[in-house]
Amino acid sequence: MSFRHLDRFADQASAMTRLAPSARLGIVLVVAVAAASLPLGAWLQMGILLLLVLVLAAAAGMKPQTLALRSSGPLLFVLLASTALLFLVPGETAARLGPLTVTDQGLLRFGSVLGRALPAIGAAVLLVSTTRFPEVVEALRALRFPLVVTSSLGLAYRFLYLLIDELERLRRAAESRNAGGGTTRRRRISAGFAATAVVRTFARSERTHRAMRARGYEGRLPTLHPHPLDRRSGLVLGAVALAGLAIALSARVPL
Amino acid sequence: MSAPVLQVRDLAYDYADGTRALAGVSFSVNAGERVALLGPTGAGKSTLLLHLNGLLRPRAGGVQVHDLDVGGENLREVRRRVGLVFQEPDDQLFLPTLLEDVAFGPLNEGLDPHEAEHRALDILSELGLAGREERPAHHLSGGERRLAALATVLVSRPSILVLDEPTGSLDAAARERVVGLLTRREETLLVATHDLPVARALCGRGIVLVEGRVAADGPLEELLASPTRLSGYGLRASFDPVG
Repeated sequence: MSFRHLDRFADQASAMTRLAPSARLGIVLVVAVAAASLPLGAWLQMGILLLLVLVLAAAAGMKPQTLALRSSGPLLFVLLASTALLFLVPGETAARLGPLTVTDQGLLRFGSVLGRALPAIGAAVLLVSTTRFPEVVEALRALRFPLVVTSSLGLAYRFLYLLIDELERLRRAAESRNAGGGTTRRRRISAGFAATAVVRTFARSERTHRAMRARGYEGRLPTLHPHPLDRRSGLVLGAVALAGLAIALSARVPL
Repeated sequence: MSAPVLQVRDLAYDYADGTRALAGVSFSVNAGERVALLGPTGAGKSTLLLHLNGLLRPRAGGVQVHDLDVGGENLREVRRRVGLVFQEPDDQLFLPTLLEDVAFGPLNEGLDPHEAEHRALDILSELGLAGREERPAHHLSGGERRLAALATVLVSRPSILVLDEPTGSLDAAARERVVGLLTRREETLLVATHDLPVARALCGRGIVLVEGRVAADGPLEELLASPTRLSGYGLRASFDPVG
């Protein structure tokens, strides 16, 4: 399943993978915060942020088309969620699509949402492509995210794969008995899968909790030492943070 | 004769729905002894094992590990001394990497993270899992997962090793690897299994549990030598399809 190969650039030696995971996570946060702080219609700054992400992707050995392909899923979600802005924001008529009217203010907001989302999603995709999930969790710990958040993410990561395997086994069992038929029947079978998976997940969580208690768990997940932020990683993160700050400020301060 | 390290006295347990799982189980295990816990499905073997680590509270009776009653403030020490390997390795491997999973027990015992990591790396190397430290469990084979589950327990250096179906769903090569490894261990061993050849390879003594009671307790070879007796306990030394 492609889901298992999200981090396929993590094992490649590159300028990105040589950075500490916490620095990579920091870069994503900088880009996301900088993008979110840009005012409507700051096209130049949005373009510069996107360029910064493309440069970082190149440093990771990732082609722009690969980054675009990997970003398309989350971007589609943003598109779907923000399309309504085109028609719902009051303003001058910019275009007509059948019974719907696209306003100039709607276009501005829609474009700005996309312009902010592109670099932020690109940076996030870059992070998950170049960093194994356990390293992301370690990076969150290093950046002092609450233990309950990092522990939950760590457990969820492991359980997600178990759940996928569970669903895969159920699907194979159904297919081996010629499951199929019309849409209604397929929906009913899918609902059955979901219900069975939930019940089995509860049973598994009970067994896992026992296994944790058997090894001394008393409510707090301990951690091994996190990856320290080395000097080089700190410098790169600092440079990106300064660039992000400069881009955000340049959109606010009249030149 | 060495002193008992594990004593189970009149242990009784009922499930929440009222089903009787254990109905007065008693036995003791001496230091260094290797005991096979046999019995048909539903005999109460797994339920009994959960009591040895204090994961279930008995309705009556009790368990003593060395000189400690299992329960209350002794639980932490009991769980360090009794290493329990669960039937399903995936239940036991819940952290993002193998190294974190193996270091989990020592960290809970309060070990310094560097010492915990050192110990975890040592045991992974001993079990032939060196180089897989940073892998998540779903990137390991079935046999490797079984060994990894064993590593999560051995790392705490327990004096009693309790294993629930340690060779379940393994192919012949992986089964031989696990059994080979266990035969070299020096801990007191209690193994619940349906796999009679594995029981024979690992243990000198057998306890047969039937419907929550001890039906037989003695030298394993004597138990296995009588197919009629085994059959009476719902066990089979050979495979004879019915019908």
